[in-house]
Formats: sequence, C-alpha cells, structure tokens
Amino acid sequence: MAATTPPKVIFEHEGVFIHSNTEELEDQDSLISGYLRIVDKDGETVVEYKPLEDTVDPSNMLCACKDSSSVVEWTQRPHRTVDQQLSYETEWDMVNAVSFKRKAHTNGEGGSNHLNERNKGAFSFNVADLRSVTVKCEGWSYLIFCLKDDTTLPAIHFHQGGSQAFLDGLRKSVQLTESPDDENILLVGAYSKAFSQSFENLLDDTNYGLVQKFKKDPYTTTLGGFSKVTNYFFDAFRPSESECQQRPVEEMADILGELIPGLEINQQEEPGFEVITRVDLGTRPEVQRREPVMMEDWAKHQDSEGRVSNVPHLKHLIFKGGLCHAVRKDAWKFLLDYYPWDSTHEERKNLQKRKTDEYFRMKLQWKSVSEEQEKRNSRLRDYKSLIEKDVNRTDRTNKFYEGLDNPGLILLHDILMTYCMYDFDLGYVQGMSDLLSPILYVMENEVDAFWCFVSFMDQMHENFEEQMQGMKTQLIQLSTLLRLLDLAFWNYLEAQDSGYLYFCFRWLLIRFKRELHFQDVLRLWEVMWTGLPCHNFHLLVCCAILDSEKQKIMDRHYGFNEILKHINELSMKLDIEEILIKSEAIYMQIKNCKDLPNSVSDILGLNAVTNDSTLETSEYGVLESPQSSPRPAHRQDQAYSNGHGLLQEASHNRCKVAFIS
Amino acid sequence: MSSKSSLLKVILLGDGGVGKSSLMNRYVTNKFDSHLFHTIGVEFLNKDLEVDGRTVTLQIWDTAGQERFRSLRTPFYRGSDCCLLTFSVDDGQSFRNLANWKKEFVYYADVKDPDTFPFVVLGNKVDVSERQVSREEALQWCRDNGDYAYYETSAKDATNVSAAFEEAVRRVLATEDRAEHLIPTDTVNLHRKPRTGAPCC
Ligand SMILES: Nc1nc2c(ncn2[C@@H]2O[C@H](COP(=O)(O)OP(=O)(O)O)[C@@H](O)[C@H]2O)c(=O)[nH]1
Ligand SMILES: [Mg+2]
Repeated sequence: MAATTPPKVIFEHEGVFIHSNTEELEDQDSLISGYLRIVDKDGETVVEYKPLEDTVDPSNMLCACKDSSSVVEWTQRPHRTVDQQLSYETEWDMVNAVSFKRKAHTNGEGGSNHLNERNKGAFSFNVADLRSVTVKCEGWSYLIFCLKDDTTLPAIHFHQGGSQAFLDGLRKSVQLTESPDDENILLVGAYSKAFSQSFENLLDDTNYGLVQKFKKDPYTTTLGGFSKVTNYFFDAFRPSESECQQRPVEEMADILGELIPGLEINQQEEPGFEVITRVDLGTRPEVQRREPVMMEDWAKHQDSEGRVSNVPHLKHLIFKGGLCHAVRKDAWKFLLDYYPWDSTHEERKNLQKRKTDEYFRMKLQWKSVSEEQEKRNSRLRDYKSLIEKDVNRTDRTNKFYEGLDNPGLILLHDILMTYCMYDFDLGYVQGMSDLLSPILYVMENEVDAFWCFVSFMDQMHENFEEQMQGMKTQLIQLSTLLRLLDLAFWNYLEAQDSGYLYFCFRWLLIRFKRELHFQDVLRLWEVMWTGLPCHNFHLLVCCAILDSEKQKIMDRHYGFNEILKHINELSMKLDIEEILIKSEAIYMQIKNCKDLPNSVSDILGLNAVTNDSTLETSEYGVLESPQSSPRPAHRQDQAYSNGHGLLQEASHNRCKVAFIS
Repeated sequence: MSSKSSLLKVILLGDGGVGKSSLMNRYVTNKFDSHLFHTIGVEFLNKDLEVDGRTVTLQIWDTAGQERFRSLRTPFYRGSDCCLLTFSVDDGQSFRNLANWKKEFVYYADVKDPDTFPFVVLGNKVDVSERQVSREEALQWCRDNGDYAYYETSAKDATNVSAAFEEAVRRVLATEDRAEHLIPTDTVNLHRKPRTGAPCC
C-alpha cells in the first residue's frame, strides 16, 4: 500500500522488551528487545512494536533470559477470541512499507493479526482501536495494550525507562483516563478532537440526546467492555485475586473525568504532536512588588489636554503596584478601554455624553415594559427574577451594598437589567453580579459603571455563554501550564480524577471575585487589566495559588472531594500580594525557559512579536532588574498618598452614589 | 457497619433562591447568614449524626441552580444516596419546577429504580407569611410521586431542618436494608435493625 505522505514518527523508543512465559517459569524468562514507536500516518496514529532482528543482548537486560531465538514467541491466551480484521493487516503493511527495514520472518499460527505474521512478536495497531493500557511496575514499568476487539497484546517492558514519555506521546492522540476500578489501567477515550467535540455537546445539554450518547455510551460501554478486560487480565496474571467491583464512594470523580474528558489531558490546540516532557524551568526568580500608583503619578502621566502619555510605563507601574484607591475611578476607565488612552478631556466629555444617552435609551427599554408585556416575555421575566435574587446575595457585607433598599443594590439591579438590553442573547447569567459589584463600587456612577462593565464583560463573555467555551478553554490551558510547571502535582491531580481542574471553576468564572477580600479583588483586577506581563496572566495566578497548596494536598493524600473542599475553603484566606509575587515569578521562570513547548508560549502569548509587546518586554526587563531601585520620587508619593488614604477611607463608607435617572 | 456505608451522600436540588445553601448551612453550622452569596459551582459540607443508634457521616452537596450551569452540576449527581427536592413555599414556580428537578436528577444520577429511590421534599421559608404553595398541594405532589416524605422548613428560624435531614438518612438506611435482604447469603432478618456485620462489597 503506497503511502501518500511519509509517516511522521511522534515517539520512538528503543530498548523495550517482550517477555515470554512470564508466569510459568520465572527463571526462564525470555526477552525480545525491540522498538516502540508512535507513528502518524496520514492522520491516523499507529503504535508499533518491532523486535530488533534477533539481536537480544542479554547484557542489557535486568532480568534473566536465555537464547532469544528459542522462546521469542508470544503465546496466546487460550480464551481470547480470534477476530480477524483485515484492516489491521492493511494498517500494518502500510506503516511497515515506509518505516522499518526488517527481515521477513514466518511465524506459526499467530491467531491475531495485530501480531505480525512475518516477524516474531512484532505488532502494530491503530490507536483508534485501543481500549486500554495497563500500566504496571516491577522495578521497571511495563505496559499491556488491550484492543477494542478484546485482543490483549504482549506486555511491553521498559527496562530502559521511557514508559511515561511513551504515554505522553500517546496522549497526543487519545484520551487516557484512569479506570475507576483499577488505578493501573488507563482507559482510552476517543481521539482528543472527538472528545473535545463531546465536551461541547455535553455543555450544550439542552439536548439530552447528545448527553445521553456521551454519557451512556462511552461510560457504560467502556465499563462493560472493560470488565471483560479486567477479567481477562486477572485470569492471565493474577488468578487468585478478585476485584471488588463496588463503585467507590467518591465515584462522581470518576464520572466527572468521563464527562469532562476534554479537560483531562494536556490537550494540544494545534494539530502538531508536541510531547511535553520534563522541561527544565530553572529557579524561580525573586520578585518585588511596588507601592500603588498615587494620584500624583497618575497626574504626571497626562498632558495638559488630558492625553495619557507613556502608557506602557504607566501600565507597568500599575502592574507592579496596582492603584491607590483614589486613582481607580479615573484609571479603571482607561484600563477597561472605556476611555481611549490618547483621548483629551474634551473628547472624553463628549464620549461620556454620548454613552450616557445610549445607556438611558437602553434603560428605558426595560423600564417601559408593562406588566402585561412582561407576562408575554418569559426571557425578560426570567432574567429579571434571577437578577433580583442575585443582587440580594452579592457583597451584602460591603457597606456599599449593605442593608435593605441600599441605593447600591438598586444600581446593581438596574445596570444588570440594562445589560440584558445591551446583550439580550446573553442576558443575565449567575456570576455577572459579582463582576459588576466591584466596578460599581469604584465608579460610584451608574453610566460609567455600566460601560466599564460592558468592557469587562467583553473579556469574560465566553465564560457565560451557553457553551461555556471560555471555561473549557481556560481549564485546558491551565492544565497545560500546570503540567509544565509541576508534573508531579499534575500527575497527582490526574490520579485523583481532578486533572480537569474542576475545582478552579469559580476562580475562573468570576476571576477570583469570591476568593479574595473585596479590596484585594480590586487590586488583582487592575493588575490583570494592564494586560501585563503576558496573555492569560490570571492562569498563572491560578498556578501560583495551587503551587502554595499542592504540598498540603499531596501530603494529606486528598482525594477528589477533599481537593474540591480544600480549594473552596481557601476563599478569603488568600494573600493577594503573596499571590501576585508568585505569579510574576512563575511568569519570569517560564519566560526564561529555553525550550518552552509551543502550547505554553501560545497560551501566554510569548511568541507574539508585535512592536507593542517587544517594548513591553524590554521595559519590563528594566523594571525587573534587581539593581533598579524605586525611583527617588517614590517616597514623596507615599507621603502624598497618606493624605489621600484618609479621603479614600471616607469615600468607602459614605456610599456616595451618583444617581442619574 | 462498614466505613463505606456510613458515608451518605445527599444532594440538595431546586430553583435558585429557594434556600438550599441556607438549609445546608443551618443544618451543619446551625447558623443563618442573611448575607450569604449565591452559590457558584459546587460545594459540599459533611456532618456526623446519629440516627436510630447508627452513626453516619452525611455529605451534603449544594449546587448552583441556573440552567446554564447544568452540565457542571449534573456530574455530581452520581452516587447520591438521597435527593432533597427543595422549593420555597412563597414561590409557586419553584414548586412547579420540582418535577423537572426530579427528572434531571433521575436522569443524570443514573438511578436504577426511580420508584424506590429515596427523595425527600422540602418546602422552605415557612416563616414567610405570603405563601403561594399550600401544605396540601405539596403533600399531594409527594403522594403522586411515590410517597415522598415532606417537610416544611425554615432555614431562617431552624424549623424542621434537622428533622428533614434525619428523615433523609432514615430513608437511605431503610433502602439499604431492603437491598441487603435481597442478598441470598444474608440470613433472613426481616426486622430493621442496626447492621453490625459489614456488608461486603
Ligand atoms: N425568610 C426566609 N428566607 C430564607 C430562608 N432560607 C433562605 N432564605 C433567603 O432566601 C435567599 C436564597 O437563599 P439561598 O440559600 O441562597 O438559596 P439557594 O439559591 O437555593 O441556595 C437568601 O436571601 C436567603 O437569606 C428561610 O427559611 N426563610
Ligand atoms: Mg445556593
């Protein structure tokens, strides 16, 4: 069979072995040394094992072996079904034709055509036909492949290491999920692309059918088919042991793993097969934060007509120290792109006028809906009822929203209702009140708060959409980052069925709004809105928090439930400055890493070579160099700020609200 | 009793705002926090209790009710031993939605026999005077659906909250006992008694 494109070797490892007669005669164990490869052939991924041509060198082995020529044949288990499928043969020929030079052998009755008829012990299969991989360890690791037609291939022993790298390679094309019944067994899902599809279907669960397809089908069928495999393995290797089949108490973990499989592995967004192996990240640099940007700093960055000058520098200052509260009301409008940085006072005044008109036009739309109309508009009614309920449950301990009939509550309600008119398709989704509350608190003005909220929602929109694409993407990206930063922890989470990082859901949905004290949320958000030092900095914030918790989680052997509980209960116990320092340090660590996997640099936007980012990076470097001390003016700023600090306190408690209605 | 069966998982389901989180908090911490946030994601709390001489750990799961988040809460339905269907007596719609909640639960929890699965119905906020759902209506619904226990609760003033959760535990244990008697090796013991021997998995 002629190949149309040359096959691409995704993974290759020489020095794997097939043992024969493992259980009967331990001292007469024979080994066939060979190659294991993962090959991409016209979009199909094929795993193949080829023995080296009768060249088993016993000196390489860790265990006893006798002459390779005598017992190299893998003997079949008697009760395996012999299900001839020509496709495998074809598959094999195809790969074979282009990749290996090998002498032809004749092998007796192979029984299964996954085994190469012409070469003792060789086999190959399309990963699409793989059902499970059993991972065992006996001083070295060995893998046993079980195919969907119940064929079990001979164990591949990694006497010279490399099993993890192989599995990593395999994960590029298939989904490997630890079996709920046996931690040594990795169940194979569909191709990741197909899985990612399924995840979308799952989220689109207005359609029960699709969910059913996904839920019933892979889970039940996998489990059904799987029990056959387990039985088989036990028969073959551990006849005395019987497995407890009762589902574990924490079974929802397994189910989740099944249901959100797209999140479970380090998925590659790009089609290439990139094996992320251990990358040396080097040491984590020391990072220092600065004092918040004071009113004076802010003012210094505006020319006489109000244009903000040296924006990159200003953004860096904000990134490094945040803003003093008095500056926020003005600065957030720029950070959130409500005001263009290069606009003049005059232009901003005009903009605000226009935006005020526009806001009230939309506000009037829902305000003027009569009760009769509302009865016939179920969507508006639903949005309204949700908003009413949630406004009453948002930041009620904050002075600004405390007590009954607080004007802050009315504004929160009105802005959210108006947002429904602004984007009726999205409407109101729980979590949005959390995103608005700090903005309204800072703006103390209905119209400004609305438009700043609109900008913030532009960034967060995908999180709230029907498909929750934003959540899905972020969880996958976070998983990719975490895997690079801390493979051991990532593996631990995987083993606890928590690899899809469900416990970070609330963090990501509303950007840590519920995790931090209110004032710290303001700090974090303004730092994030600078867009520095890289894309998706908030994911590094997640990594930083997890980095501080991982030891506890692993030492205490937390399982799925405990991890979820532990993370939920971090709420209001986190130190924002510590987190920001660590997040930035992690960023520097990653940035300085030489062989960064593409997937990671893509997530963080480290490949982008726009003028803007070059400038930012270089300036960032200057700011970061340990020699650079705070500017001399800094102390003065602080003195100046103390006066403002009082003002700031006062405005917090006064609930000063601009009513425009 | 085996350690496995002493952990019971119950899940609170119902429309947003009916008081699920408040009920959970009232039961576990005996507090009512009127400043409570609306739930985002999934949370759970554990509580140890003794019912009819048996000590169990109740694991109470609480989720966000909005339609949009369905796919993120439904995976947690699996493995539930009991489902607490919750509505608010001052919200007729939340009562009418009970059937949907039940359906969603049965579907995603993969309940093998919905007719015998223990559901308990909670009509919350009985402290509120403007009722939209009468006790009779609620009881009728419970009868129609399979003799579910019905409790009128108030997370605010603690009315019936413990009673409801304890009933949930009783129902679970009763179902488990029935199931045990189906195991042929189990000696005939038709009277409900605290289990001593750990039922082997
Ligand atoms: N009067 C009264 N209010 C309650 C009761 N339980 C909860 N609430 C209030 O109802 C609102 C919704 O409660 P919550 O527990 O968040 O509902 P959930 O969305 O079902 O979790 C909150 O404002 C609670 O303070 C109750 O028993 N009586
Ligand atoms: Mg709740």
